[in-house]
Formats: sequence, C-alpha cells, structure tokens
Amino acid sequence: MTAKSPSCRAIEVDLVATATGEAEPRSAERVQHHMNTCARCRDEFGRYRAVDHVARGLHVTPVPDALAQSRAGLESRLADLKQRRLAYRIFPSPLGHILVGRTEHGIALVEYLHAGTSLRASRLARTEGVEAVAGGPELERLQRDLMDYLAGRRRDLGWPLDWRLATSDFARAVLKTTAAIPYGAVASYAGVARRIGKPSAVRAVAQALRWNPLPIVVPCHRVIGTSGRLTGYAGNKVGLKQQLLAVEGVQLHAARRDFTIARERMYALGEGETEYCLPTCGSMGTRSLAELTLFASRADAESGGFAPCTSCRPDLHPLV
Amino acid sequence: MGLEPFETVVAAHHGEIYRYLLRMTWRSSDADDLSQETFLRAYRAWDALDAGANVRAWLFTIATNLARNYFRSEGRRRRAYAGVSDVRTDVDPASPEEERRFHETRALVERVVDGLPLKQRAAFVLRKLHDLEYEAIGRSLECSPESARAHVFQALKKIRHGLNGHELPMMESVR
Repeated sequence: MTAKSPSCRAIEVDLVATATGEAEPRSAERVQHHMNTCARCRDEFGRYRAVDHVARGLHVTPVPDALAQSRAGLESRLADLKQRRLAYRIFPSPLGHILVGRTEHGIALVEYLHAGTSLRASRLARTEGVEAVAGGPELERLQRDLMDYLAGRRRDLGWPLDWRLATSDFARAVLKTTAAIPYGAVASYAGVARRIGKPSAVRAVAQALRWNPLPIVVPCHRVIGTSGRLTGYAGNKVGLKQQLLAVEGVQLHAARRDFTIARERMYALGEGETEYCLPTCGSMGTRSLAELTLFASRADAESGGFAPCTSCRPDLHPLV
Repeated sequence: MGLEPFETVVAAHHGEIYRYLLRMTWRSSDADDLSQETFLRAYRAWDALDAGANVRAWLFTIATNLARNYFRSEGRRRRAYAGVSDVRTDVDPASPEEERRFHETRALVERVVDGLPLKQRAAFVLRKLHDLEYEAIGRSLECSPESARAHVFQALKKIRHGLNGHELPMMESVR
C-alpha cells in the first residue's frame, strides 16, 4: 500500500466527518472537491459511510422481559427510597441556623443547629433509615414562610406534616395536642398531660416536647410550667422560647435565669369552656395553669372560636 | 419538586439507559444493576438539578460514570461478542446476499468496537447509537467536546482499519 499524499492526509478528518454526516457544509465541499480528483479518497469515503451505517445499527435488544423486570425492580427500589427520603435546607434565622426537612408526606423536621451549620450538626446525621439529601428551590418557600413567621408577618405556617420522626404513639399524641394550642396562647405541661388523658405524665410530656422534631411548627414554645415559668426549651435554650412568645405578643417578666409569663396581662380560658375571661374574673387569678389556656389578646382568643365572658365582659373592659 | 415528577423521567429514559449499559457490559445482570443505580443516584440529586438541565444527557453522564467504575474496579474484561448469549442484536433486512454481507461486517465492527479503549468506546456508542451531542459526551467522559469528537474519530478510524480487505455492504454510490 502506498503512503497517502499530504493533501489526502490533510483532508482526512473532514473526510471522515463528511462521510459520517458530521461535517460543516464548507468542509464537506472541500472534501467533495478533493474526491473529484482522488479515487482513493473516494473509496475511503465509501468505506467510512458503510462503517457509519453499520455502526448506527449496533443497537442491542434485551432478552424478553429483562428490561421490564429491571424497570419493575427499579420502581420498587425507588418507592422504598422515596419513603425514606428527606430533602433538607439549612438557613440562618434570628434564632440561629435552622434546618428544615421535608419528605413526600410533608415537613418532618425543624431543627435548631447549635453545633454548626452543616448536616453533620443535625440529628439527621445520626438518624437511621433516613436518606437525607440537600433540597432544591422548593425548600426556599419553606424558608420564606418560616422567616415571615419569625418576623410576625404570618400566624400560621399551614405546612403538611409528616409525624414519623416522633418515635412513639405517646409522643405523637403530645405533639398533636400541642399543635392545637392557638397562636398567642400558652398552656402548661400539666394541661397537655390532662388533655391526652394522662394527667400524671407531666414529666413524660416535657420529655416528648424536648424531642419535638417539629419545633415552631408544633408550638412547644407555648407550653410552660404551672408556675408560669417557661422552664425549658430545646435543651437549655429558654431564650428562644422567650423570643418566639414575644413574636406572638405574649408578655413576660424576666425571672432568675428564666422568664415568667405576665399572667395578669392575659385573657384566660378554663378547660372545656367556650368563653374567655379577664384574669380578674371570679377565681381565674388563682386557678392552676393546669386547667387554663391563656391568650395574649382578645383577637387570639376569638380566632380560636371563643366568645367573651358575659359576666366579666372582656369585650367592654379590655386589658391595656 | 420544581421539575417534572421523577416517574416520568424513569418512564422516558430507563429503556434507553438500560440498552446503553447492556451495550457497554454485554450482560443483562450488569445492565440491570447499573441502570437501577443510575436512576437511584439521579433521584437523590433530582431536587438539586437546574430546571433547564438536559435530563437525558445528565442520565447518560451518571450511567457512563457507573460503567467506568464497573470496568475499573472489577477489572473486568469485556467478553467477546461471539461468546455472549444473553444479548440479541437487531436485524436490518435487505437482500439475502446483502444481508449476509451486512451481518459479517457488523460482527467485525462489533469486535473492533468492543476492543476499543473505554473512553473511545463510550464516546462512540454515545454518539453513534444514542446521538448525544459532543458537549454531553465530553461531560460524561470528563473531557472537552473536542476530545470527545477526537475519541469518536479515533474509533471510526480503528473500525475502518479493522475492515481492511473486507468487502463492505453496498452503500449508495458517491456522487
């Protein structure tokens, strides 16, 4: 075989590109022009065309059912992954860095990150069976909602919730009862224990709220001691509790390393009652907080569907 | 999630990704494993994917990475085409004589393709069988589009030389 001429070598790349349908029109013209006088390259061109033609037909056909089986296997693994998948977002807030996580069922986790600003600082890093993935833009809306809430521009997050990170039926009952405490209101640990039908389980209620996977959303900050003290929050972050209550207009007195709610400035609702009272109505001022829900404002009480008491008339003599 | 539901992505692309991996590995069990892994990985990263991303090219990138790891970590040799039993190849009908010649050529091409270095082989298969843009092929192989084009060119040259002395099927004549 004789060596290719320099002009043949120079045009080789374009020739292959032209024969395989990938050349720019101008290269194709050059190749055509060259082939008019070069039989050898004409032959090469034909060969490359044949190669390209054969190559494009090299598709393989899976054996019957193999593809369908693979697809079915994939779908079942995806379903399992989906069940366990939690998309999260971490962002700074007035309360420090917060992680929000959502699953296909709803928001499953809100967490104050005390020890850092990455996933490693989260309990997710130690939670079995959860597939944590960095969330995309759809979690930005959650961040906006939460920031609006913390700024007092929004009273209700309205998020669908996934309760699966609450580890027991008891914890779930506590959280759901707590979730029913209205905006601007406070109740006591003992009160929550009574409402779930376990009046002596006050400490267990406090423990369940300590591990609340959905703080802010499930407002455990609205649950206080029967003494009126805030007593605790997210470990030892009672300052966050005070901030959250302040956003809702609940007034507090500073007490030694804690805060006490200003009970004399709150409207009171007795257990099972439908009318709310002034704190001075009858025995309201001395009743145990285990039996009461207190409201920061009339509007908060009335948006819960409660009417002003017809004897003390908070509607005529509102607290100032 | 901001984009289309992931189920539609599976429905639209699983078959093609499976065939690609079958073409690369020649084994149904490997195509099965690797194609599932491709989509599980894609699902995990789905939310973080840009809304305007080319999903199909992105899936091929994941699949190609998995295929490269498969060949690298297992040190597997691709098996000879003749010895493969769990793969059928498509038939292009033509006249009996043409058909015979086509199949002979095809078997030869097949053998050369399977003997190509992995990057050339992947670039060639992605371009010729799946019509991917060089940009996307480059991303899959962690190289520039120009290098991807060069891989395909080298593959074509090797195939062409592998057919020296072999009578090729008739193509429409050159002007």
